[in-house]
Order: sequence, then structure tokens, then C-alpha cells
Amino acid sequence: MSRGTALYGARRLLLVLGTAFIVSSVTFLLVHSLAGTPFTCEKNPAGCAHENLVYGLNDPLLVQYRTFLWNLFHGNLGYSYVNQGVQVMPLLIREAGASLTLGLFAIVVTIVVGLLVGVTAAVKQNTWVDYSLSSFVVFGYSLPSFVLATFLIIITAILLPNWANSIGWGAPEQIPIPAIALGLPYAAVVARLVRASMLDVIRQDYVRTAWAKGLSSRVVIVRHALRNALIPVITIGGPLVTAIITGSVVIETIFGVPGLGKEFVNSILNRDYGIVVGLYTFYALLVGLANLGVDLLYPVLDPRIRYS
Amino acid sequence: MTTITTGLNMGPPIAPPGTPVAVDYSVAPEQVSLWQDAWRRFRRNKLSLAGMVVFSLVILMAIVSIFWTPYSLFSQGLGDITDPLSLKHPFGLDASGRDVLSFIMKGAQVAIVVGVLTAVITSMVGIAAGLLAGFFRGWVDAVVSGITYIGYGIPNLLIAFLILFITNRPSIFNVIIALSVTSWMDMARLVRGQTLALREREFVEAARATGTKNFAIMVRHVLPNALGPIIVQATFLIPAAILFEAFLSFLGFGLPSPDPSWGAMVSAGLQDRFLTYHTMIVPSLALVITLMAVNFIGDGLRDALDPRLKR
Repeated sequence: MSRGTALYGARRLLLVLGTAFIVSSVTFLLVHSLAGTPFTCEKNPAGCAHENLVYGLNDPLLVQYRTFLWNLFHGNLGYSYVNQGVQVMPLLIREAGASLTLGLFAIVVTIVVGLLVGVTAAVKQNTWVDYSLSSFVVFGYSLPSFVLATFLIIITAILLPNWANSIGWGAPEQIPIPAIALGLPYAAVVARLVRASMLDVIRQDYVRTAWAKGLSSRVVIVRHALRNALIPVITIGGPLVTAIITGSVVIETIFGVPGLGKEFVNSILNRDYGIVVGLYTFYALLVGLANLGVDLLYPVLDPRIRYS
Repeated sequence: MTTITTGLNMGPPIAPPGTPVAVDYSVAPEQVSLWQDAWRRFRRNKLSLAGMVVFSLVILMAIVSIFWTPYSLFSQGLGDITDPLSLKHPFGLDASGRDVLSFIMKGAQVAIVVGVLTAVITSMVGIAAGLLAGFFRGWVDAVVSGITYIGYGIPNLLIAFLILFITNRPSIFNVIIALSVTSWMDMARLVRGQTLALREREFVEAARATGTKNFAIMVRHVLPNALGPIIVQATFLIPAAILFEAFLSFLGFGLPSPDPSWGAMVSAGLQDRFLTYHTMIVPSLALVITLMAVNFIGDGLRDALDPRLKR
């Protein structure tokens, strides 16, 4: 890693931390400036008063904010308000595991399908293969992930009745369907980009040279053309990672995956202020770091890119 | 052939000395304005035209649903959810025995209102911010670019959910605000880039030289020239907003019960999957067909209006 890249990485890291700080502060202040407290005090006034005391909700907003920041700098994202006594940080780290598994498999689906469709459409440009694949791509990005997920559930229920019972999460054979539902819509985006970029590359002189040398079509397409065609595609790596992270919100809810996305929906539905604030901070960090990681990969994959 | 209309009749093109003249000056070249040319190119794209027809039908359905639906949204128990599809109920009945077609029609109204209003609000905010940032640069640009730079680091979903969480009262208005707050930034970036390029052009200098006020330069000279990419971007905002509203409703954060949303209908249909599939398939298809139609319109408009993206 060159000095320029290291400096760039450090600057970006500061920005990520700054963004996460802003996100957590804004979330905290907005959520805590809402009227009332999360506890319903009508039925059990004594317990409610106790809970307000435990969570420091009687303090002025700025005092609460100071405590929150103090905890934040010590790596403590606070406590759940609904499941009392549960610390947010360990909970989120545990749930991040399930989300990570799902996300990685989804990215594999996105990349494999996107590359296959994009390259095939480009190589067979202006044939019926290209037209049908290209219409399929528009269909793909018009297809909401939850619609795709529900259709996959029906299709497995009809075609593989035995397997349909195992829709859920926990066993290895339950991974593919949610991963396809999460990854396939973005495969359409990747395919579109790969097709455009392949079409640019396969008209260039060095590819013609490769054909002229008598190389096999696989070597020309994969080694010579695809390698260079991938460079513009890498730029959507950052948005793609963000999309997979946020897209998992709906997929995890449908398939009951005990991950961050499901927690996100549940904490908001349950109005669990503690987890909401913690999760927002966590997400801001996660998305920022994932994007930074993708950006730092560019110069490794394409030596012409240099950060200075 | 494309001709550039200048408004002035410059006469025939002057050939370099020595070239044989073979131009028939008795026929003036056809004068085509930018918009006529764009319409001609848009018309050539059959998929975009089909998209336009389908989207018009959805709009028509939404308008009709204001005044009339086959059955009232409140009339329950018209039959059983497992009843086969019939002429009386072409899309069948839902779990409460309500007519699905009526709900699809009312859902079209929600989708159109959310999609179009969000696109309009987002465009207005984004165009204003982008024009000001690109034209005045300096601190205005620093503020707008700073907000978009930070905004890009935060997933839209988080911002939208935070707004819904704080307002705590699902309504069409809150959903539109939540969508607009997150999506104006793309438009602002686009318009800012266009303005930065256009403000250096000769016609802006000419306008300035004749004493035109800044506001008039922005609105009358810069904006019309950036309109092509803006319209394309705004068209793609409509399906994005419809999709996001469906997504929110699917998760249960959308509109309250009497307002039917296609997203919420898919979610309800998913619960019925052990009884029947039509309550899930019908709203899903309504969503996918509408989104595809608008995406095809957007693709066609991009090819027609954005000459840089020649295929």
C-alpha cells in the first residue's frame, strides 16, 4: 500500500467515524426529544418511575446525551428498553453473524449471475439471446426483493414440497433461497453494467489481436476482455454492499433470519429506543467501513488508480 | 438527420473552397426542435411506448378509483378467500372476503400519488439546491455538497425510518416526506454538475453582459439547457418512490388500514399462502408491471433526451 493510499484511507476513516458520530447523535437527540417516555405509566406508575430512574430518563436531555456519549466512547451502545438488562453491543455483534452469512452468499449470487448474464449478453450482442437477457434485466430491477422472495417461497412450495418446510434459518440448506432473493435483484444491475463495459472492451484493438493470434474464445473473453471490463464495474461495489446490507432488512423479516435487519424492523415496531439508537450507530459504521474497504480495493485491482 | 435550430436562418452551409457543390438549395433542410427530435426518437422505442400505455392505464385506474370501485373497500365477507376467480370478482377475494380488484384500483391511487408527488417535491428541492450550489459556488456549494457527501454515507432506509419513527403516525404525507428527504440529493448532484458546466458557456456570459439578473440567468438560461437529464432523473424517481413505499408498507410501516398499498397487500398475501396464492400474486404483478412500465419510459426518455448516451 502506497503512502498516498494510506493517507487517503486514514482521511476516509475519520470521515466514517465522523458520520457515525453525527448519525448516532442526531438519532439519539431526535428519539429522546420525543414527548413522554417509552414506558406506559398508566397501569404501573411505581414501576414506571423506577424504570425512568434506571434509564436516566428523568434527567435533562443534555445530561442524557452526555451519558450516552460517555458510554459510546467506551464501546457501550446502551441497553434494550424492551428486553431489560440486554446490552445492545453484544446483541448486535451476535446478530451481525447471521446477517454476514446471508450477505456473503447474496453477494456471491449477485456477482456470479451478474457476470454470466452480462458477459453472455455482450458476446451475443443483438441476437435473441441478448434481447431476452436484456429484457430479463429490466424485469430484474423492477422486481422488488420482497416480491421475488414471496415468489421463491411459492415456487419451492410447488416444486419441492419437502424442501419448502425448511424455509427459515439455521440449517445450511436454508441459506440458498434467502440468498437468491437478496442477491438476484442486484445481479440485474451488475449484468447491465458488465454488458455495457464488455461491449466497450471487445471492440478494442488488443482484443482483436488476441482473436487474430488464434486464442480460444474462452481465453479471449475471460482473460483479455473480462478482466478489463470489470474495472468500471468495481465502482458499484460500495453502493452494492450498502444495498445488500439494507436489503437484508426485508429478506431477514420474511425468512426469520435472526440478523441485524430483523432486529432493525422489530426494534422500531417495538419502539425500543435503546436498540434503535445503537443499531443506527452500528449501521453507519458498518456501511462506512464496507464502502471504505471497497474503495481501498480499487488500487489493488487496477494499478492505474492511485490515491494521492 | 438532426439539425440544430438556432432560430436564425443562416442559409446554406458554406463549403470549404475547392469542394464540388452538390447541395440542392431549392429545398430547405427540415427544421426540427430539440423536443420534436426527442419525441421522434422516443417513438421509435416500442418498449417505451408500451410502458407509456401501461402507465397511462394505471393512472386512469387510479383516477377511476377516486369515484368508483366495483365494491366498497369496507364491504367484507363477500365470499371465501378460496373461492375460484370469477367474473364477479376477477381477482378473487382476500382473507376478510373483500374484493381484491377494488383494492388493486385503490392501491394504484396510492402508488401514483406517492410516486408522482415524491418525484415532484424531490425534483423541486434538488433543482433549487443544485442550481444555487452550481451557480453561486462558494459557501452555498460547500453546504449543499457537504450535506450530500454525508448523506451518501448513510443508507436512505435509515433516514426514512427515522422520520417515520419520530412522526409515529403513518400517513401518505409522512411517507412522501420520508422519501423526499432521502432522494433529493441525487437530483441536487446532477443539477449542480450541469450548472457548473453551463455557467461557463457563452450564452450565459452574453446574458450577463446584457445585464440579466442572476435569478433570470438561472431559471431562463441554465435550467432549460439542463432539462433533459433532469426529466430523465425525475422519471426514474417515480418507480423508486413506488418501490420504497411498497417496501415500507410490506414491513408494516406504510399507510394505515383503509388506505390499501400494494406492498401491504403482498405482505397480507404472504400470510394466506397455505390457503391460496392469488392474494399474493395479483398485487405483486400490479407492482412489477407498473414499475417495469415506468422504467421502460425512463430508458426511452434517456435515449431520446440525453444525446451523450448514444447507443
